[in-house]
Amino acid sequence: MFLAWKEIKYSKTRFALIIGVMILVSYLVYFLTGLAYGLAQDNRTSVDKWEADGIVLTDESNSNINMSMITLGQAEEVSGDETALLGQTAGVIRKEGTSGESAKINVTFFGIEPDEFIMPEVIEGKPFTNNDEAVADISLKEEEGIEIGDIVQLAGSDKQLTVTGFTENAKFNVAPVLYTTIGSFQEIRFEKIDDSDDGRISAVIVRDNSEDLAGIEIANNDLIPYKIGDYIYKIPGYSAQVLTFGLMIGFLVVIAAVVIGIFIYVLTLQKSSLFGVMKAQGISSGYIAKSVIAQTFILSTVGVGTGLLLTLGTSLALPATVPYQNNGLFLGGITLLLIIVAVLGALFSVRTVVKIDPLEAIG
Amino acid sequence: MKLIECKNISKNFGDGHKEIEALKETNFSVEAGEFVAIIGPSGSGKSTLLTIIGGLQTPSKGKVLIKDNPFSEEEEKKRAALRFKEIGFILQASNLVPFLNVRDQLRLVNKVEKTKMEQEQTDGLLEELDVLRLEKNYPSDLSGGERQRVAIARALYHDPSVILADEPTASLDSERAFEVVDILARETKSKQKATIMVTHDERLIDKCDKVYVMKDGVLSLRENA
Repeated sequence: MFLAWKEIKYSKTRFALIIGVMILVSYLVYFLTGLAYGLAQDNRTSVDKWEADGIVLTDESNSNINMSMITLGQAEEVSGDETALLGQTAGVIRKEGTSGESAKINVTFFGIEPDEFIMPEVIEGKPFTNNDEAVADISLKEEEGIEIGDIVQLAGSDKQLTVTGFTENAKFNVAPVLYTTIGSFQEIRFEKIDDSDDGRISAVIVRDNSEDLAGIEIANNDLIPYKIGDYIYKIPGYSAQVLTFGLMIGFLVVIAAVVIGIFIYVLTLQKSSLFGVMKAQGISSGYIAKSVIAQTFILSTVGVGTGLLLTLGTSLALPATVPYQNNGLFLGGITLLLIIVAVLGALFSVRTVVKIDPLEAIG
Repeated sequence: MKLIECKNISKNFGDGHKEIEALKETNFSVEAGEFVAIIGPSGSGKSTLLTIIGGLQTPSKGKVLIKDNPFSEEEEKKRAALRFKEIGFILQASNLVPFLNVRDQLRLVNKVEKTKMEQEQTDGLLEELDVLRLEKNYPSDLSGGERQRVAIARALYHDPSVILADEPTASLDSERAFEVVDILARETKSKQKATIMVTHDERLIDKCDKVYVMKDGVLSLRENA
């Protein structure tokens, strides 16, 4: 520690530059992770919000909820600990009285029964009570300026909905969700309300504590239960995004590791004659190696820590439209990973220290 | 008391098909309180002898005893530990750590040994070598003479029994060079060290008790010194 710290204090500029590189590299890794995580979350928050274990879709739908059509009669045949009906469709809305391209908003409609468990918690305003009302994701207020009591107009139809309240974390396929009644959903999707056994919805959401959805019984061969985790992975575009970003971040961490490792290695090489003299004086390789590792630890901790603070600061300043989200587990994991990788780079340099021949340093 | 004793040591360097005898069989010893100079042209083998005594390389034949310990026969790690404890090196260029100030140069020794030396004792040593006033300075702020004085303080600090100086005056003008040799002679007497100085400058040997001449790997005592 003694040598490591004294040297950092002595060559301030050099070490400030190295720490600067570490800050930038870690900042990039953190930030990209936050963006990837935020985007992934925007696909699934509304699904996570159900806190459900399974989703029942038609066999023919290939687990794509857009293609799944279940009649209310078939839905009766699904039994589990708790079940809830869901009609889902994508749509475009505009705030009443606005026009033009920029006023169009992509949304997802969830048609639900207000007394079933997938009814979201309303954080502002009131729940919807009839087929002409809806509860919207709070992002519609933050990003589009829609307020409680505003009427939204559906593109391509005469249907109008009054926003009665807002909920949070309700996005599906990167679009904000509007929760409304099943009748209203049918109107939007099929242009008529049908509450008979032939009336159509998209899925049945099930809560079931048994393992592998064994508690779900379906008296119909056309319907298949999927675990929520598997279903989320098959949301169109989700796995592609997660894989792409995952690989990018993975490569970034590896490259960051190599860059930091090279820095430490070059630093060690520069000092090899000094280390040789020290070894001639009888200072053990072990002591020198320890101080190289201690120095790397100090540099990487300060660098990565500052990168983390910068990231947290930036996340506060970002506009709501950027799908950025922090996740303690990821931030913590990346911090540990970068520091461990830097210290591994230092261990590589230790081999060089051990190999330095004091005789050459003197002669 | 013999602090350094070389028994029949020799050193050969092989470069594949040809053996070069850098140091022919040598018997040589230095007593406590004795200041010995080895002079000779460059390439004559005097540095080889010094590094063998310092344990940086092992002799091809024979052995080196430091305080009666078979130093040259210990394994590398043990040799490094003994070197740290019993031998103070002073090299031609500064062997100081560039990013430590004068006081920290000495503190490094404590850190490695995990010991603590009294402040007064450190101050006393620095004062003796007239560098106490420079204690906050870094090597780059010091003159060549000051740097070598700090190097001597560093070498004496952990109280070794042997001082090995390899061209300690090479980078100094003659006035500073005499000063450094004076200090070495003085410290050798007062602290009862066994000191070997390798040099090619014959003017510096007046203070030495014995002078050896190295020529083509053969060490011989110069009688008239």
